[in-house]
Amino acid sequence: MSHNIRENLCILGALALFLCFSCVPQSPPGNIVDGLGRSVTIDKIPQRIVSLAPSNTEILFALGLGDKVVGVTEYCNYPQEAKTKPKVGGFSTVDIEKVVSLEPDLVLATQIHGKTVIPALEKLGLPVVALTPGSLNEVLDSITLVGKITGQSREASKLINDLGTRIEAVADKTQNLSPDQKPRVFYITWHDPLMTAGTRTLADDVIGSAGGQNIAFDISGDKTINLETVIYRDPQVIIASVGMGTGEDLPWQYVQTETRLKNTQALLNNRVYKIDGDLIHRPGPRVVDALEQMAHFIHPELFK
Amino acid sequence: MALELLKNVTLPKTATIYPIRWRSRIYAIVGLALLLGITVIVTLAVGSTHITFDTLCRVLLAKLTFIHAEPTWASNIETIIFDIRLPRLLLAGLVGAALAVAGTTYQGLFRNPLADPYLIGVAQGAALGAVIGFMLPISWQAGSIPLLAFIGAILAVAIVYSIARVGKTLPMTTLILAGVALGAFLAAITSYLMIASGDKLHGIISWLLGTFSLTSWWQVAMVTPYIFVGTIIIWLHARPLNVMQLDEEQAQQLGINVEQVKLILLGAATMITAAAVCFCGIIGFVGIIIPHTVRLIWGPDHRFLLPLATFAGAIFLILSDTAARTMLAPTEIPVGIITAFLGAPFFLYLLRQKKRAIF
Repeated sequence: MSHNIRENLCILGALALFLCFSCVPQSPPGNIVDGLGRSVTIDKIPQRIVSLAPSNTEILFALGLGDKVVGVTEYCNYPQEAKTKPKVGGFSTVDIEKVVSLEPDLVLATQIHGKTVIPALEKLGLPVVALTPGSLNEVLDSITLVGKITGQSREASKLINDLGTRIEAVADKTQNLSPDQKPRVFYITWHDPLMTAGTRTLADDVIGSAGGQNIAFDISGDKTINLETVIYRDPQVIIASVGMGTGEDLPWQYVQTETRLKNTQALLNNRVYKIDGDLIHRPGPRVVDALEQMAHFIHPELFK
Repeated sequence: MALELLKNVTLPKTATIYPIRWRSRIYAIVGLALLLGITVIVTLAVGSTHITFDTLCRVLLAKLTFIHAEPTWASNIETIIFDIRLPRLLLAGLVGAALAVAGTTYQGLFRNPLADPYLIGVAQGAALGAVIGFMLPISWQAGSIPLLAFIGAILAVAIVYSIARVGKTLPMTTLILAGVALGAFLAAITSYLMIASGDKLHGIISWLLGTFSLTSWWQVAMVTPYIFVGTIIIWLHARPLNVMQLDEEQAQQLGINVEQVKLILLGAATMITAAAVCFCGIIGFVGIIIPHTVRLIWGPDHRFLLPLATFAGAIFLILSDTAARTMLAPTEIPVGIITAFLGAPFFLYLLRQKKRAIF
């Protein structure tokens, strides 16, 4: 993975240089292929953008496009400024009429909108681009894509450079660890029912990149997990996702009070940590913050 | 218990309705009780963690008897057997028994094969209570969800009862209609709250489909007295329930205080259903399929039907929950999906096999 990032960085660096020297005024992006494999034509640089996911909103603001954002979801709480934007509904429950009334020239969606919202918006003639990152690398790719569509390629490559360097810094310390040196990590996203993030999730990639072994290695996606499996696999570190929407730490409290977990390595050695669910579940620029925190939790000896 | 009731039968008129196969039915009751015991032991050995039967026996011996044995197993195996699997399958057994008994009672009271424990508002009341619990500030949630579910269930039935009551009598048709209407009304509120619940939706749906995933001993301890007392009360009313199958008027003439019996049975069935759903959610199908299955095999005499349904319900739900926690292990399936998925085809098979009227 780190090899990939290096490669990406070189290409992007070259791209950035090329852009600097060519000094072409921002040209229309033209044809692009989005995260769902859809081909979309963007004729001119979008000026009115609606975001249908908190992660999309965060990417847009990070690229300095805050004032072009005309609509966000109820869950878009970062940065502060995003809260003041008009709301177009919840995450999966999009108010199509509201979107249309904002007259956007670009709608940024995600995979959950694929079957329902996107066809509806397309029928109404709105250009929709879906971002579907599922890993750290793909988050960087999404940022590149948004940069390209919005004519902010320079900002995008700067941001990616920065994020890439930080990811590298973690990878440098964790990639050569032997399996024995990688603690077993139980990542709890909800406690009733007991839920975790299995393979092919952003959280799983973050745990792996931070030098941990996810105990939910045989579960795919965000699923429930048996309590007995957790106890049998005896996690050395437990990370509780907190603040999902509500700003509370119920999963963390559950771990502290569940008597049946008290003989696991993590509880015996007092290694239960909280991580902000908004950081680790949103495939936006702040997922790198989650990675750094996670690395610090899993390998306090390497990351001081 | 059933034997005692048999001796007291003094109504040859009703007794002749049913074929006299008492001995085989008593064997069936004993047999199902034994099967329940075996089911508990066997499913205790099954789970996402591989524990051999040999290890299980040695852990059980060491823990339950005072024979001292050197533990050759990891300490977490003990936690898994005694603190995760055992309370879980005991709760599943209790809930299965409760739903089956309540279903049998409702079907008997309403003389309607489609009646199930949720017919007159228990489920909708419990669901609304639970969803309100989910919406509360998060630090209040832990204990309040089951409590609110229990209160919601009892309140819903109490409202339905008071609406349907005409003077001193309780017409069953009015009761059903009032139950269905109030149920729809409560379900509308619940649905709206779910739409508005945002990221709590997963927890709510999981509760509504029914799950035993985090059962621990205190839940078993809380539920047991209600279900135990309610079930005993219902068992003791098997004979009046039989007589009421004829006609309420005739039952009255035969010396049964019909209105009082209705009230007691409704109360007991509602109480055990509310206790059953409050921790594990709305588990469907058990309450309708088990009574019918037992009736198809052993006949409609409530003196046998009620105890047989109790044990059959317990066995069925324990097996269903075992499937729920092992089929896709280490992840779980809500048990309500399993009960319908396994139960419905089996029931249809029975219907094909025994093409005779259920009632």
